[in-house]
Amino acid sequence: MVLETLRRIEEAVKERPQELAKAREKGARVVGWFNYNVPEEIIHALGLTPIRLGTGGDDRLVEIGSRYISTKNCVYARELVGLFAENQDPYIKNSDLVAVDATCLQTYRVAEIIKYFFKVNTLILGVPRNFYLSEGQEYFTKELEFFTQKLEEFAGSKLDTKKLAESIKLYNGIRKATKDLYEYQAVVHPPIKWREVFDVVHAGYYLDREKYLSLLKELLIELKEKHGSPVIGNLNGDARIFISGSIIPPKDTKLINIIEEVGGRIVGDDLWSGINPVLDVNIKEPSIKGIADAYINRVPHAALPYLDLETDKRLANLKKLIKDSQAQGVVFHTLRFCDPFSFKAGETKEVLRKEGVSLLEIHTEYADSDVEAIRTRTEAFVEMVKNKNLLEVEA
Amino acid sequence: MSDNQNSFRYPEEIKPEFIKTEDIVFRDGSSVSASEIWRFMTEEAPVRYPYAYSNNRYYGRRLSKDIRLPSSIKHNYLMLTMNDRTSKARENGTPIIFVQGGQSVDPYYASGGIALRPASTGAWARGKEEGLNLREEELRSNDVREKARKAIGFEICQSAGYEHIQEGDLPVDMVAPYLCLRCSDVGYGVEAHRHGKRKLDLFLVDYPLDHQREKEWAVEYVAKNLRRLTQKIGKLAGKEVTEEDLREEIKLHNKGRKIAIDAADSWWSARVTPTNGADRRAVFQMGGMEQHGDPNASLTVLKEANKDIKERVKHSIKGEGVADDAKRLFISGSCVFPNDFRTEEAGGIIVANDNHWSDITTLVEETGDPYEKLAKAIISYPYEQPIEERAKWTAGEVKKSRSDGVLFLYNWGCNTQSAVARMLCDSIHEETGIPTMIIEHEQRGEQTEQLQNRVNAFIEMLN
Repeated sequence: MVLETLRRIEEAVKERPQELAKAREKGARVVGWFNYNVPEEIIHALGLTPIRLGTGGDDRLVEIGSRYISTKNCVYARELVGLFAENQDPYIKNSDLVAVDATCLQTYRVAEIIKYFFKVNTLILGVPRNFYLSEGQEYFTKELEFFTQKLEEFAGSKLDTKKLAESIKLYNGIRKATKDLYEYQAVVHPPIKWREVFDVVHAGYYLDREKYLSLLKELLIELKEKHGSPVIGNLNGDARIFISGSIIPPKDTKLINIIEEVGGRIVGDDLWSGINPVLDVNIKEPSIKGIADAYINRVPHAALPYLDLETDKRLANLKKLIKDSQAQGVVFHTLRFCDPFSFKAGETKEVLRKEGVSLLEIHTEYADSDVEAIRTRTEAFVEMVKNKNLLEVEA
Repeated sequence: MSDNQNSFRYPEEIKPEFIKTEDIVFRDGSSVSASEIWRFMTEEAPVRYPYAYSNNRYYGRRLSKDIRLPSSIKHNYLMLTMNDRTSKARENGTPIIFVQGGQSVDPYYASGGIALRPASTGAWARGKEEGLNLREEELRSNDVREKARKAIGFEICQSAGYEHIQEGDLPVDMVAPYLCLRCSDVGYGVEAHRHGKRKLDLFLVDYPLDHQREKEWAVEYVAKNLRRLTQKIGKLAGKEVTEEDLREEIKLHNKGRKIAIDAADSWWSARVTPTNGADRRAVFQMGGMEQHGDPNASLTVLKEANKDIKERVKHSIKGEGVADDAKRLFISGSCVFPNDFRTEEAGGIIVANDNHWSDITTLVEETGDPYEKLAKAIISYPYEQPIEERAKWTAGEVKKSRSDGVLFLYNWGCNTQSAVARMLCDSIHEETGIPTMIIEHEQRGEQTEQLQNRVNAFIEMLN
């Protein structure tokens, strides 16, 4: 079954670079950003065009990036540097300003590097490590005020409360639609695959946000017409796999391909390039403080250390999503030297073991040299999950 | 000097002069005389800690052969008595707090605790088992480190003392370092304690990133973190921590910082290099007053060392093992060093480093709110600034130390330092015109020869 709206989203993404370049010729200004905690609402409300930057899976770009950043940095960071070094990516070429929040320290270093070597105009948003303390939250509000002030100077206009309220409404719509979409891919006979949903999420990095929301709504209508409301239940023997861990950015399909090739069915994720950024964003008032409080209190990024295992919201979210999607096994994807996630792999495995969920850690890079090794391990894991299903059915 | 089975011994002929030197005065008011130090270092320690006396050329921590530098012997005394002193203090109710290197420790001592960074914790742990030779000690150390790798991840460079605290037998009460930009692993290392066998008090003093020192809200944030820190330690120590306690501690630590800066100025400007690299590093780092687990003891030895250096400079006395025209190396990057002694054998000498120095060069204002003043100083550490600012400061130190070349060493797995290696080296080179080289430092004991080959080749190139 081909979904017509998916085809239209794909077309829109293809046309977007040209559209963006033309808009810039007419005076539009683009703010590219990467990391986790940049609030797009503010960029949008100032009349600027937000684009989320960064791709993965290209070893050639990793090598180019490695001329400027070390091999002891994760491949995502290296590829980001490679993208700026090469300056061929249409979104990077069309970014007038690059905003980066200091959540992951390696991507903060990327911001320093692209400023130093390629003279990129960057703007940094400080993020507190003690994000759960009142002083951390106060600090973040002040940082966001400072960040907004710099954006205002860049935009040549002041942030208007009414426009901010409209932007918040738009983004709330995108967030809700994304969550609804995730439910459809998790049903027994899914009208849309997780992989397609993942691509739709990534389309949202680039497309005009009003247009994107409109397409999301159309997609949901099309899904409802063809499938009805999503109900996750009555497992049919699929090996239902959940992906967690390090970022899987657009174009990084290595692990996804392998899981699907060996018969696994991905039914959910808690990736910062997946569903996580849209979860638990509760903006109570159209103000900088309202946005700061919402962002800092949502599901935290693993790069922000949290010192109590029992009350860790990231782990609570992971367990909830696994349960909601009725996943039976977790593939925990860790990029080499991605410390925020790889250092937590063993701990996460232990936490999920207590929940009766198996976890397979795949520690990898973008190079193809480990594809077969990963395939063997993933195949065994998927087989184990399937066998467990059979045993449960027999019981 | 005698060399018994490739072991070093302090020769009796220096004893008469050494025992005339100053006592070490500890924080609790007690003291140890030079005679007692001599007895310990020549009779007791060689039996309890044979590894420390090894002359193995691959052993980077071996004792300095500069036997006529009393402060060198006293520094080693303080390192080798780390277990005796720290265990005793802990038994007497003083909380032990694990911190990281390159940070000030004023608030920890103001609150009645003892702050130990990884190297000092390592020294404490080594003292727990006696009679080991170098090989046995390294095996033991590697074994316990493997446990940390298993509990956290094999790509750690900095395990935040996890191995000693969770897997070893060190009764650390709290893990509460500053979160500088220098090291990303330390935050995750602290976080890993949450799943450890031992339940500990954990806290992080945050370090906001990117041009923060002029932002009032960033200073306020760090100051509030520091207040939480002192309250938590004070609770462990059973002490009400006042602003005056912190102010007095800042004054004490400023003394150390100032003396170390003065000692560095003398050392760097000397026509004849007054000490070898290992002794230089020990003296400069005493300015942080944290490596011995007793700031007052460190200060005593530092004062004496400063006098010794000035005397040597005045009389053009050269440090033991230093070549006449040794090429002067500045070490930048992670918290690692090449082997000082082998570098000197190759005709070089390490004259300075940025890590564990930028905090010492940052004095804290002594008037006003001590928390805010300390916070402002902390977020002003030059080593932690955005790279262009850090490079300017480093280039300045390179010039002051009259370095001939800069080696940027990053530890295997050290993401944040390795990321900026090329950027920093390019920038320093542009500013100073001197050669720079980037080297990856493997985990301890591995590929030592390869690392040293590169260092030696760099020295040869400078020649």
